[in-house]
Amino acid sequence: MKPRHFTYVLALLGACVLFPVQAVRAESGRLLASNCFQCHGTEGRSQGGIDRLAGMGANKLIGEMKEMRAKTPGNDMMKVHARAYTDAQLNDIAAYFANVR
Amino acid sequence: MNLHNRRQFLRLLGASSLGALVHGCGGGGDSGTGDSADTGDSGSGGGTTPVTPPVVNVSGHVVVVGGGMGGATVAKFLRLWGGQNLRVTLIERNPSYTSNILSNLVLNGQRTLSSLAYDYARLRDNYGVNVIQGEVMGIDPVARKVSLGDGSTQTYDRLVLAPGLEFDLMPGLTDYQTIPHAWQAGPQTALLAQQLAAMPAGGTFVMTIPAAPFRCPPGPYERACVVADYLKRNKPGAKVIVLDANPGIAAERASFETAFNTLHAGVIEYHAAATIDSIDPVTRLVQTNLGSIAASVLNPIPPQRAPRLVQDAGLVNVNGRWAGVDVLSYESTAHPGVHVIGDASATTQPKAGHIANAEAKVCADAIVRMLAGQAPDPAPVTNSACYSPITATTASWLTAIYHYDPASRTMKPYVTGEAASITSGNYEDMFPWFNNLMADSFG
Repeated sequence: MKPRHFTYVLALLGACVLFPVQAVRAESGRLLASNCFQCHGTEGRSQGGIDRLAGMGANKLIGEMKEMRAKTPGNDMMKVHARAYTDAQLNDIAAYFANVR
Repeated sequence: MNLHNRRQFLRLLGASSLGALVHGCGGGGDSGTGDSADTGDSGSGGGTTPVTPPVVNVSGHVVVVGGGMGGATVAKFLRLWGGQNLRVTLIERNPSYTSNILSNLVLNGQRTLSSLAYDYARLRDNYGVNVIQGEVMGIDPVARKVSLGDGSTQTYDRLVLAPGLEFDLMPGLTDYQTIPHAWQAGPQTALLAQQLAAMPAGGTFVMTIPAAPFRCPPGPYERACVVADYLKRNKPGAKVIVLDANPGIAAERASFETAFNTLHAGVIEYHAAATIDSIDPVTRLVQTNLGSIAASVLNPIPPQRAPRLVQDAGLVNVNGRWAGVDVLSYESTAHPGVHVIGDASATTQPKAGHIANAEAKVCADAIVRMLAGQAPDPAPVTNSACYSPITATTASWLTAIYHYDPASRTMKPYVTGEAASITSGNYEDMFPWFNNLMADSFG
């Protein structure tokens, strides 16, 4: 655990140095992602019947959303929601769920 | 904070801040346990945006009045996001909440009211919300104090009002004891179901719809469909007459036009731009601009407004009915320190449970930041979604996602959509949506 913890701290410092201006917007990842909680469960921990998002890899989530964006919604509500976020917002949402344990 | 909450708090801190930050910088290799096919990629997929730690260790006392969809959600997420030193008190007059969503299925016997009841035990036990069953009698926004019916008071740093609605008395009525509106799920819903069950074959169900805005825009049209479907099977020859004050179907127009004109053709008779002059609760005669209409069962859905509590606190400043708010925080435009979410507030968003949940999260996030001396998120997003049963086995749906528009300072529809058709698949999808929504709101 110790080396990994050390990596976290280094990353934390790195982020603060490299991206201080973006910090406020990035924090909204959690609030943005909370739009998914209503159907996919609090923090993406679905109660069943709808996909769990907690812990999903970011590339997978982004890839599925972009694939859905290209399709006509028909009777799939999710295909409407796939069009509801900018690429930057989608990245923030995906980063949030990737890190829910 | 009990052990459970402390553990959850630490887990959240780890999950949503440190871990996210590592991945955001591309510095981590552990993308999570839930997705073995997709390892070590979350940083690259997520770009280079760092995720800063959530604001924690704010302290203070937030009082939430009203334990419906908005109130329960804001209480839960204040505790989830505010850290161990943020005290949250939820004051609600009833021991449990009965969901308006799905309550039209009580009318056709598919759900019981008790199956729609949600209590506050999980908010209390799992999230550490202080739940008080009581009636708020008054608000003093200057002294930052609410007074309860038992004489006690609660002082607050920030107050969230999620009080739902009050219903106007329609002309000719003195109450809704025998002629139910059933627009707040509960005893009136049960009464309306009994009246429908006792209705003679060939009878007439008359419902009225108020001018928008009203709670749950698709709801009245959904009710007309569910009742028509029930009557077709149980009361041959019966009719549904819909008297709508609006110039046309106010929500989910394509689906309901299809339902009215094909599926329920010959049963539903729809009249737009109807005006109700008076209702006789004894003869069940409705005087309208279309003439006198006789009902076997009468269901007037009244015009609505923010409840008296909100009016008395001086918070009603939009059209004499609703509380104006800043949608970045849902703080009242009349009194600082007081936030109004859900049906009682005036926004560009619909008055409905799913979006009250979304408003509650924006409000909770903003309050946490404001208590930390920060500004609210400048670009919130909210979403509205609902499934509407059209028969006992089919449904449609409607959804809208709103982005904050800085120019108009409103939530602006970014994408909207409704179901392409009325299907049994939509009906089946309705229940996981409902169950997850209620769990997200009530714990």
